[in-house]
Amino acid sequence: MSSFLNVQGLRKSFGGHLVVLDDINFQMEAGERVVIIGPSGSGKSTLLRCVMGLEKIDKGRIELEGARYIEANPKSKKDNFVDIPVRNKVGMVFQHYTLFPHLTVLGNLILAPMRARGESRSSATERAMQLLDRLGLKSKAGAFPGMLSGGQKQRVAIARALLLDPKIMLFDEVTSALDPELVTEVEGVMLELAEQKMSMMIVTHDMWFAKRIATRVIFSADGRIIEDAPPAKMFTNPSEPRTADFLKKVLHVETIS
Amino acid sequence: MGRYTWDFSVITANWDPLMAGLAVTLQLTAICAVIGLIGGFLVCQMVMSRIAPLRWVAIGFIELFRCTPALVQIIWIFYCVPYFFGVFFDPFYMAILALGMNITAFNAEAYRAAIQSIPASHYDACTALGLSPLKKTLFVILPQAVLMAIPVLLTNTIGLLQQTSLVAIVAIADLMYEGKTLATQTYRPIEIYTTVAFIYFALSVPLSQAVGLFERRLRSRLA
Repeated sequence: MSSFLNVQGLRKSFGGHLVVLDDINFQMEAGERVVIIGPSGSGKSTLLRCVMGLEKIDKGRIELEGARYIEANPKSKKDNFVDIPVRNKVGMVFQHYTLFPHLTVLGNLILAPMRARGESRSSATERAMQLLDRLGLKSKAGAFPGMLSGGQKQRVAIARALLLDPKIMLFDEVTSALDPELVTEVEGVMLELAEQKMSMMIVTHDMWFAKRIATRVIFSADGRIIEDAPPAKMFTNPSEPRTADFLKKVLHVETIS
Repeated sequence: MGRYTWDFSVITANWDPLMAGLAVTLQLTAICAVIGLIGGFLVCQMVMSRIAPLRWVAIGFIELFRCTPALVQIIWIFYCVPYFFGVFFDPFYMAILALGMNITAFNAEAYRAAIQSIPASHYDACTALGLSPLKKTLFVILPQAVLMAIPVLLTNTIGLLQQTSLVAIVAIADLMYEGKTLATQTYRPIEIYTTVAFIYFALSVPLSQAVGLFERRLRSRLA
């Protein structure tokens, strides 16, 4: 049994008592686009952060392409077991862009390829410029992040992650901090990635976008996965009353079509 | 106030010793500024270390040098280091030791404030980009910290330039010491100390203007 991404028995708590994720078991195949929805505090973002290796987990393990790369280490209070080369196949984009303000757009893009992967400056620059061109950001290569709009910043952040050729991309509420009119340009980039069969895990509050991009939707609440279904089913005919109740609240209508 | 007849010929006649003193002042300032820029970052890293004893040592060091007068530090090191440690450096190096540690303590605090203003999400982003802790520090944290800390670091450096005048007390032939010597030799303290003050002023003003320039640039860049 070897899924593309395999989360086994994951438990995450803060300070030992506040349990945010409890016995999460989750598998996905390459090319799937899993959107996680649920009330705030349900552990959606924490699950992404665990898959990225940003959180110390209490129990469980995570595998990518059959290789275990994160495992709880009960002996250490501070660290998990982490297989860094495998973890580096995972890319992530955050809500607040996290572009480095002392570097230009191009500088942000080529930093990790050069410093973490040892790629030459000329090769990294060439790839970065091609990618920026594809995303319509070529003219911004020399600009500093402070000079960009939120939508441009987030597209640069996506480009920065893509330049490392990730096997899977994690998107943690990437449009939540954006003005409404800037959301579509970021979602457009994600839809383009979907066309290229990029594997993705997406946390979002935008149900319409979720329905459009997802191959699978997960509803989570209280640190557990309550329901896991294709978008057509999840949004029209959810099995669990809690899911239905949540969707009713966020959509103000019974279903979206 | 009595009428005073200024006579600046005493300055032109003694230009060489004053300039020799100025050279010592500039050397002291430059060397200690470099020590402070690097040492301050290292001490700051110790303060923010996960290892408690490292933190204690660094905090003790910072508080010791922030909470005693620089003049006392210079005199104390000048007299006590040879006595307790059985070593005697050239007074110039003793002064570098004292002033270097003093500015290191102040710069460590400037770096700490700057580093703490870097959002935690940047650390996550570094991990997500596969940057090792060392590379994260070198290429993301340090440059941002320096950029944000520049105004305070420059202000500390201006303070350092002024504080080098304290080493005259332990007979290091800096600008202040040469001025004092000339004043007692020539009985022209007013012209000489006025000139000395003007030289310190002329050196400091560009630095203090640079502080404002950097602050404006920072604000536009990091907006």
